[in-house]
Amino acid sequence: MAQAHDRPSRNTPPRLPGWVKVFGMLFLILVVAFVILHLTGNSLGGLHGARTPIELGVY
Amino acid sequence: MAMPHSVRKFALAAHVTVSVGWFGAVAVFLALALTGLISSDAQLVRAVYLGMELTARLVIVPLSVASLLSGLVSSLGTSWGVFRYYWVLIKLVINALSTLILLVHMQPITHLAHIAAKMQISNAEGRMQFQMVVTSSAALVALLVAIGLSVYKPQGMTTYGWRKQRQLVQR
Repeated sequence: MAQAHDRPSRNTPPRLPGWVKVFGMLFLILVVAFVILHLTGNSLGGLHGARTPIELGVY
Repeated sequence: MAMPHSVRKFALAAHVTVSVGWFGAVAVFLALALTGLISSDAQLVRAVYLGMELTARLVIVPLSVASLLSGLVSSLGTSWGVFRYYWVLIKLVINALSTLILLVHMQPITHLAHIAAKMQISNAEGRMQFQMVVTSSAALVALLVAIGLSVYKPQGMTTYGWRKQRQLVQR
């Protein structure tokens, strides 16, 4: 009985390995999480948020 | 573009050296970031952020760029290539993205150092201090994944690599 994961013939390119699909999904999840954080104003990047004492002219 | 054996070995040794050095420097950066976040000693906290800026600018950035370049040279000079195998390709993506994100994050690192040079770090910088811990932890994880890929070299040839291999066989 033919299996779902038969070896591809020499005329067809190799299938995408499972571990690459897992990596791809994890990367997508990270990108989506980063975009959501950024859009909701909870970004961890850059100099967003409260102004510092220097910028407020305290010092 | 096959390199002579001795040059290949040198390129590999250089890549391993700068890459592991990068990992170690980020581990130091994380230790400093944690200290800056949790310590109640104001003088220590100021010293920490000054040290973090120096570490990032003089060690981490040069090592990350060196790792990226040496990795490209190593790949191009061997049969692994840059785009033929998934483990090499994903390592390249990790390396390039980590270097890019590091360069972007030099801005808040420098900002904290400038504040630390002038005065005590206040609660207003809390979010940025926490960011230092999170981003350096994420960098360590990314570099660990890259190290794992280098050692285990999981199987998987890309379509491009498969076509290249067929071309070589058909010659």
